Amino acid sequence: MKKSIHYLIYLTLFLSYLTTTTHSWKKEEFRNCNQTPFCKRARSRHPHSCNLIPSDVTITNNGDLVAKLKTKPNPDQDSSDDHNPDLEFSLSVYKDGILRVKIHENQEKDKKRFEVPDVVLDEFESQKLWLQRFKKEVIGDDLLESFVVYLSDGYEVVLRSDPFEVFVREQGSGGARILSFNSHGLFDFEQLRVKKEGEDWEERFRSHTDSRPYGPQSISFDVSFYGADFVYGIPEHATSLALKPTSGPGVEESEPYRLFNLDVFEYLAESPFGLYGSIPFMLSHGKSHGTSGFFWLNAAEMQIDVLGSGWDAESKIALPSDQKRIDTLWMSEAGIVDAFFFVGPKPKDVVKQYASVTGTSAMPQLFATGYHQCRWNYKDEEDVKNVDSKFDEHDIPYDVLWLDIEHTDGKRYFTWDRTLFPNPEQMQNDLASRGRRMVTIVDPHIKRDEGYHIHKEASKNGYYVKDASGKDYDGWCWPGSSSYIDMVNPDIRSWWADKFALSEYVGSTPSLYIWNDMNEPSVFNGPEVTMPRDALHYGNVEHRELHNAYGYYFHMATSDGLLKRGGGNDRPFVLSRAFFPGTQRYGTVWTGDNTAEWEQLRVSIPMILTLGLTGITFSGADVGGFFGNPDTELLVRWYQVAAYLPFFRGHAHHDTKRREPWLFGERNTQLMRDAIRVRYTLLPYFYTLFREANVTGVPVARPLWMEFPEDEATYSNDEAFMVGNGLLVQGVYTQRAKDVTVYLPNGPTWFDLRSGAAFKGGKTYKIEVTDADIPVFQRAGTIIPRKDRFRRSTVQMENDPYTLVIAVDSSGAAEGELYIDDGKSYDFKQGAYLHRRFTFSDGKLTSVNLATLGTKFLSDCTIERIILLGHSSKPKSARIEPSNNVAEVELGPLQIRSGVQSSVLTIRKPNVRVSDDWTIKLL
Amino acid sequence: MKKINTLFLVFCSILILRSELVHSHNLIGVSLQDEEYYKGLYSTGKIKCKDGSKTFTKSQFNDDFCDCPDGTDEPGTSACPSGKFYCRNAGHSPLTIFSSRVNDGICDCCDGSDEYSGKIKCKNTCWEAGKVARQRLTKKIATFQEGLTIRKHDVEQAKISVAKDEAELSRLKEEENILKGLVQQLKERKEQIEKAEEKERIQREKEEKQKKEAEEAKLKEQKGEEKVNAEEQEPVGTNTNDETGIHDHSPLDQDLDSARADLGDELAHNDDNAAFVDSLEEEHAEKNEEPFEVEHEHEPSHVPQEDAPEDTKSLSREELGREIGSRWTGKRSEQQDEDAGTARDHEDDDEYDETSDNAHDEESDGYDTETEEDHSKYEDDDTEDHMNNVGDGADDHSSDSHKYASDDEVDMSDMESTSNPSWLEKIQQTVRKFLDAVNVFQTPVDTSDSENVRKEYDDASGKLSKIQSRISSLTKKLGYDFGPEKEFFSLYGHCYEIKENKYVYKVCPFKEATQVEGHSTTTLGKWEKFDESYKVMLFTNGDKCWNGPYRSLTVRLRCGSKVEVADIDEPSRCEYSALLTTPALCQEGRLKELQEKLESVNKQQPQGHDEL
Repeated sequence: MKKSIHYLIYLTLFLSYLTTTTHSWKKEEFRNCNQTPFCKRARSRHPHSCNLIPSDVTITNNGDLVAKLKTKPNPDQDSSDDHNPDLEFSLSVYKDGILRVKIHENQEKDKKRFEVPDVVLDEFESQKLWLQRFKKEVIGDDLLESFVVYLSDGYEVVLRSDPFEVFVREQGSGGARILSFNSHGLFDFEQLRVKKEGEDWEERFRSHTDSRPYGPQSISFDVSFYGADFVYGIPEHATSLALKPTSGPGVEESEPYRLFNLDVFEYLAESPFGLYGSIPFMLSHGKSHGTSGFFWLNAAEMQIDVLGSGWDAESKIALPSDQKRIDTLWMSEAGIVDAFFFVGPKPKDVVKQYASVTGTSAMPQLFATGYHQCRWNYKDEEDVKNVDSKFDEHDIPYDVLWLDIEHTDGKRYFTWDRTLFPNPEQMQNDLASRGRRMVTIVDPHIKRDEGYHIHKEASKNGYYVKDASGKDYDGWCWPGSSSYIDMVNPDIRSWWADKFALSEYVGSTPSLYIWNDMNEPSVFNGPEVTMPRDALHYGNVEHRELHNAYGYYFHMATSDGLLKRGGGNDRPFVLSRAFFPGTQRYGTVWTGDNTAEWEQLRVSIPMILTLGLTGITFSGADVGGFFGNPDTELLVRWYQVAAYLPFFRGHAHHDTKRREPWLFGERNTQLMRDAIRVRYTLLPYFYTLFREANVTGVPVARPLWMEFPEDEATYSNDEAFMVGNGLLVQGVYTQRAKDVTVYLPNGPTWFDLRSGAAFKGGKTYKIEVTDADIPVFQRAGTIIPRKDRFRRSTVQMENDPYTLVIAVDSSGAAEGELYIDDGKSYDFKQGAYLHRRFTFSDGKLTSVNLATLGTKFLSDCTIERIILLGHSSKPKSARIEPSNNVAEVELGPLQIRSGVQSSVLTIRKPNVRVSDDWTIKLL
Repeated sequence: MKKINTLFLVFCSILILRSELVHSHNLIGVSLQDEEYYKGLYSTGKIKCKDGSKTFTKSQFNDDFCDCPDGTDEPGTSACPSGKFYCRNAGHSPLTIFSSRVNDGICDCCDGSDEYSGKIKCKNTCWEAGKVARQRLTKKIATFQEGLTIRKHDVEQAKISVAKDEAELSRLKEEENILKGLVQQLKERKEQIEKAEEKERIQREKEEKQKKEAEEAKLKEQKGEEKVNAEEQEPVGTNTNDETGIHDHSPLDQDLDSARADLGDELAHNDDNAAFVDSLEEEHAEKNEEPFEVEHEHEPSHVPQEDAPEDTKSLSREELGREIGSRWTGKRSEQQDEDAGTARDHEDDDEYDETSDNAHDEESDGYDTETEEDHSKYEDDDTEDHMNNVGDGADDHSSDSHKYASDDEVDMSDMESTSNPSWLEKIQQTVRKFLDAVNVFQTPVDTSDSENVRKEYDDASGKLSKIQSRISSLTKKLGYDFGPEKEFFSLYGHCYEIKENKYVYKVCPFKEATQVEGHSTTTLGKWEKFDESYKVMLFTNGDKCWNGPYRSLTVRLRCGSKVEVADIDEPSRCEYSALLTTPALCQEGRLKELQEKLESVNKQQPQGHDEL
């Protein structure tokens, strides 16, 4: 008995130990750079160890510059047996200042190195500028001549021979450098070769062994950004917007930024560790040059070091020292060099250039820009009904109700747990009768169950990814033993897409959309919770070569499925956790399984801004934090910020307490309702911005420096962000904040959207805050369209009238745009849309048509209210032309919300139609 | 009758007047009560918003532009975010809806008045809907009436029962006093006898004295060691005692007493001895206090797999998959079997065994009888039931009730009816006889006498402990809050069950709530209190969820003629909610309200019908 009492005490202690340790990031379960041989090798290489020299430089009849990269003969060593074959180098130039460099090895081998298909747009090739000739130039004391070709107005590319480097500079032999490749001689390309006797290619990590049948094949090189104060991009990491150095003097021992799609349990708020998606695209920005970008199309594991200044002090580099520079080291386990250089020079130029390679964001349906309500899990039809009706009971708008994995029959996707969801069609139709949609989850792991039709077909047809021995790979995920659809094969993608047909997906209706989770892919019993690198895909491609793109192809197939389902005219909505360059064309992403902590609310801003910079504008973080229970204040603050971010969804883990907006007392219900309503009033603005992103690639949520590239104070600010060019949003990221510090960028005046008060730009303010809202400012010179009416969902807002908010600049002018279409189909591509520009100057507001395809879209919507901020005179009325009506001008509220005191100049009921040309002149 | 006619006339004329206003002045969305307020618009041309923030003119009234932040100028349009729209719904009940519903293309009012933009045509469904609502109301009233009768009866019964219990308690306390005295006397006598016997024994064993002493010395040494151990256990023991309150559980108690006796006189005041006794009591207490035992005895089965995440290297592929997956699901990996998808949060097999053992322990504790009058009356009521207004025809669950034996109930059967004092008198007589008869100063001690004294002592102290148990259970029972009129008294000692899929949920007011699946029982919560002025029962501090909170259950109470669990749900993981119907919630005031409501809707019928 006594013994057992001791035992009990130990157990109690042990249990309390467990509860404190089970909830944390399992660092040791993931490889660090030192445990990753290619990373370790690349990181330890010394500058100028590259001994390649381009030779046979010619221009092909495809308009490319090509060369062979030969190993420099080493006089100290007889290199006859250790001779590396030549590498093939090609350089192409595209419209708008884009340079593409490919380096490849001779492909006459059994194993072909993987080139990532279906990412670069087909149209991109048509934008190639055919090179006609090159100039020769001797740089400095070089022994060999270098080759110079035209890139775009004011920029040229130099292929330097010895030392071998490629750089972009301003035109002319003394032109300032913009970007360069291999300026530190760190380029290394491990060519495929025959295994030497006694050589061991296997790699072991924890209990896993990677057979590595093709041996080392990694690539690494350095890239330098000139005139750069900061570098940005390369998501997905939970870290600051401006990337901190990971190596160099004064930098603590740090991991490189890792790009390896992983399902990381409870990720940390500050870490260079790789998360669910990867985009190897980096931007630099600085006062002197502006912005430039570098993109490496490669789907293998990548590690990127941002080198702190002075890292190369010992290497006696002869780079121009008068230019501020940031050096970076890029390392990948496999693939080829397929690199894109973007000259900018403005931030929006770089994102547009990148978008011309990988595509712009798909135009979302209007409903998708509203509020989404999710939880793991809304349990059954009654639960769904109840949650839905509570939104109405509390007059809180929302558009989409989500079902997580528990809705399925034993995690067999495309099925329903019929005891919980006996009538899924009826349930969806009921939601749809109030304009609401439903989203269900469909993951790529397929339960290995002979009775499951998807598994039966996939295994019969050989549609699964194979293990190293050629058998269907059998991993473990939600359903238990599972296999994974090989989405790299277009035929398999097409088969998968057909599964979303209404007749195939039993229980689905046209108002059902899809969520792709776990597509990194997540494999519970795989190395680093993912698929073994030696697993085999279509075309004998190893998983290591395409790992980061797996989720992308899955997302693509699902999105194509919804497109097919809707006869090609219903814009798909698919949320994905994994992503890759090009994901923006297929749907939305979110930042995965975050945690209910203030830190994580804070880091969600740079994470989302970074995604926007790298092409994926439609992204968001789980409101409230997925793991854990947010305290009420955190939850409210999260809603208040997230309402201004592109994708707005509340979600929670099944161990957490319910947190729908009405569960925290009247006051907090009011606060969350207000936050969600703010989003709905701004939907016309958001939708216009989504269209801008769809056309140009410029994101909806932007870092301040994108709008104010000259203002150095904005470069590393990632607490505030711009929505379009008009709104500056400052979140509140601390508990019980009484005030927050806001930097308002230099140039314009800013209007506080709570009070209408004007603030001069270029200054930091301490702004008082209450629990009611977060500081939001409208930039002088902009006009923002709103709809100040509240409805159940976006569908009922269709015919509601608009409000225009004009913030007049110092010259008395402002302008803004409004884009409208049917909110769901592709008819806009045939011109079925309205695109208006509103310009205000000299006391006159004018609406003009911007649509280029003629107007096939009709809207009866009118403008019910025009608010003027910063207008100096006090007019009493306004004359409307051509109708010759007069509208009253009075003082009214800036927002119609009880408790918000403001009194601003308001044109009352001009009631002009939004589709017409008109002017309104203040009298 | 005449009165009703007059009322009807007045009502109709209001309606006529009103419809005129609606048509001529666009009073759409204005409630009857507010008509007075808006009249000002027509007399003076402008009025203040209700919140006083602004004034608005007749032309600004319902002109589809929001002037008042509180929405008072736009009762009939969607222009103001905080506006309210009133639909008359003749034939059914009037309804006030958010202005966000006006002309949104969805019919919200049964009279269709919220959709007047022409975008959609709403059918007037008030008559049908009203009929259904009236029927429902009628039915509800019937339930209330029936429930109220039962409630009154329950309240009466509760008064009687409580009085009875109180009487019993005070009588038991008296008996306890007497018995305590007797036990004390017997104890003294027993000790005297034992002393004498001891003396005798010492005498007899004089020649072996040397050897004996050596042995005793050895014994003392051992006690010393045990003291150390006993001290280590102290905190646990104290804690346990606090929870149990009473140590005197019969079978082990006797062991304990005999152990005490065996130790002999010279050790009686020895610290070592006290410590030893304490440690015995601990063991004893532990055996009786299952919750404590349950929690800890579960653990060994957790250890291997909870240990595993810290070192996943050594796991098989499948174990690893389960293990990693369990981080998100919070389920222990074993539970994710082939059918992980359908298997919901249940305990693993090891735990089944543990809990079923416990369940068994509980039953075999022997506290399964309670005085008959305590729990017969409710069953009677049950069998008389006529109508069941709850459950709403849900066929996947069924509800049931049964009695439970309170932990604290004591088997008093050997004392016959406690109301009959004869057993006590008998004991008193016997004891007197003994005390008189046994001459302790006589040597050698008469062995049969000493046996008798010991037996009598054991008997009496056993009875005393039973009385004390009963006292404590009665005290505990009477300490509960049974509601302002003790209307919940009849729920004491009963459990109400509902079957939902594969689980049986048991709600035992004033005790606990459990979820049973096969042989496994999970405690959803222990009785905590009533909340929201007796509209809710709270059970808290149930079994802990793995990686989660302690389970809890919130029971909403609703009027019904039967006590029944009508619904159970787990809206957040490990936070359960149930609905229980009970006559206790059938209050007279509420019934009156319902009746008035029915009267008023009935009055509207003709008017509503005419419109069709």
